[in-house]
Amino acid sequence: MLETTKIILTENTRSLIKKMKDAPILYILFTGMMFFSIYIFAFATFFLLRTETEFNITLEDTFFTIFFMFLLKSVADFYNNYVKSTQLSYALSTQTNQKKTIFEIFLSILLTQLIIWFSFSLFFLLALLTFRVDIGYPIEYMIFTLGVITAVCLGSSISINFFSPKRYRLLPNLILIGFYLQFRHPLYVVFTLPLAIIHVFWSIKNSKESHLFSKRKERLKERTQVKMRSLIKAIFYKETTVLWRDKLLFSFIFTSVTTGFFTGYFYLYGNDLLLPESLTEYLGDFLPSMFLFLGVFVVILYTAVFPALNLFLNEEKTMWIIRHLPVKNDTIIYGKTSALALCFLTSIPFVPYLSIFVGLEQFFYLFWFLIFSFIASIIISIPLGVKYVGKKSDIMLLYSVSMILLIVLGSMAIFATFIIEYIEYSYAIFILILLLELLILYISLKISSQILALKYN
Amino acid sequence: MITVNNLTKTYGKIVALKNVSLKFDDSHVIAIMGENGAGKTTLLKICTGILPFDQGQITVDGYSIVKNSIKAREQIGYLPEMPDMYERLTGREFLFYIASLRKLKDAESRINEITKMIGIYNFLDYEIGSYSKGMKQKISMTSAIMHNPNNLLLDEPVYGLDPLTSRVIQDFIKNKKGTTVIATHSTQLVEQIADLVYIIMRGQVIKFDEVKKLVSKHGSIEQAYFHIKDEIDA
Repeated sequence: MLETTKIILTENTRSLIKKMKDAPILYILFTGMMFFSIYIFAFATFFLLRTETEFNITLEDTFFTIFFMFLLKSVADFYNNYVKSTQLSYALSTQTNQKKTIFEIFLSILLTQLIIWFSFSLFFLLALLTFRVDIGYPIEYMIFTLGVITAVCLGSSISINFFSPKRYRLLPNLILIGFYLQFRHPLYVVFTLPLAIIHVFWSIKNSKESHLFSKRKERLKERTQVKMRSLIKAIFYKETTVLWRDKLLFSFIFTSVTTGFFTGYFYLYGNDLLLPESLTEYLGDFLPSMFLFLGVFVVILYTAVFPALNLFLNEEKTMWIIRHLPVKNDTIIYGKTSALALCFLTSIPFVPYLSIFVGLEQFFYLFWFLIFSFIASIIISIPLGVKYVGKKSDIMLLYSVSMILLIVLGSMAIFATFIIEYIEYSYAIFILILLLELLILYISLKISSQILALKYN
Repeated sequence: MITVNNLTKTYGKIVALKNVSLKFDDSHVIAIMGENGAGKTTLLKICTGILPFDQGQITVDGYSIVKNSIKAREQIGYLPEMPDMYERLTGREFLFYIASLRKLKDAESRINEITKMIGIYNFLDYEIGSYSKGMKQKISMTSAIMHNPNNLLLDEPVYGLDPLTSRVIQDFIKNKKGTTVIATHSTQLVEQIADLVYIIMRGQVIKFDEVKKLVSKHGSIEQAYFHIKDEIDA
């Protein structure tokens, strides 16, 4: 009974243990940072409770943030474990009812999400206790838990129906989500849980065609023009083709534009929204600069860190191709890194969008900081990506790199502010810094090439 | 020609290959046989420069795989047992990518010629992610032989292929000049195309002989294999 659920949970657990054994330092670093982040959230909660700020995170805000996070994770998990899964054919080919097998996949996702929810929320509550914040809200906790279950049901049915030829089946999902957004109350989500359960069961009943449809769609591709290229160009072309076909570039552009918009908005109105009057005198100048910094940081995470790490992390099973060909490691590193130029283009819309709010005076500095941050991301990400080949889209590695980057970029932002304020020819110094950074980039790529080389005794 | 001297390879505490010495001569088809986990695939991966090793020396046409790895890899064509490729590229794009990295001059005509020969030409413009196991094997086979390498290392070359393509590949291997090494479990394939056979067990070479001699002595390669295994187990 529940063989598929057991096997998925066992595989996920073993995979996690294997990863921890393969890269213990990385995992220790990540675990430390994860607990640190939860503790910081707890501190933020304590701070908001104890201060008279106009910025108030309500219970509803928190509920819907958690709800949509679990909803998105369920969509992704169901896609990976069902729609895209190749291993699934083993389970589907047995005498067990196929719908039962698919239900068990859903169950494994539900259990995984609940384990994540309980572990993180309990640690958060313990962290709140250390600040002596009252945590005796059992009804609210139950509502949040039911919200997570609703999110998993809706996320799974979205995944099934989105990849189905009959997308009108998404309609109940859209109506429910629209309903939640309109009325913005956790109880409405909890009350509609039975509807979400009925919908996910109905979707599972009709789910087999999603799996087949997705496989069939992959086969239909237009004839492409290909030709011989020089070494670096060939690697560049291959990488950019994969980026293009994964449709990642569009999401990068979208992120750049929306981050530019929100950063600009908070730059102008952040003080009024977030700071109590008593603190405006002390923090009034600091907050807008912090928003500019965070805006660049978010854009860089999306458009530079994520693709730079994945250039190598995704190579796990295809390393044999690189290794058996008569190509120098330097060439591979340069070719792959050059593909990031395309990603840089997607980050550019951030600056003009932001400038609508900020004005053109800061255009040069913002653009310079964007370039500096992009190169810094590559300097950090490429060697780590090469070191940890095979840890595809590893959230822990992404998180660790982003924390290192936060420190590096934060220090540079402070230094750049100092240059602007106290040094006359700041433009020349900024250009010199970029040149120095390019030199460090060259050294970083050389180190990456050394890491990529096989280690013989 | 590939020479391997005193090769040792370990995975943590597991010894995959222990003091292996062998020679893959020119103008021969050499088979490597052995039980699952004997070290066949590891040996091929080390010879192609995919895996590092702990001790020993390997040369490919006189070039060391460690010190002259680029030159050594130029002389090799390799077909892995599980040919994972870039799923988002089409078969044609993948082959041109490999041809570009190998600086192949007549890439288009070679790709067309080989893919027509092994029956994948009409599917070259589909994404690799949509291919069946056999189709991936054909694309990978094309990438291994399109530069006409002097040393061809094939891991289960006909596994997953239809009978007609399997025959075409076997004929190609038999008529090819230079060294061809095949790692396989198929005793039938060894009898049909191999001149020499190495039998590896528990990371060590325990038998090297001519295929014809083994067949005349034991009746078939399968019988010879069981006989040798029984001797070792005893």
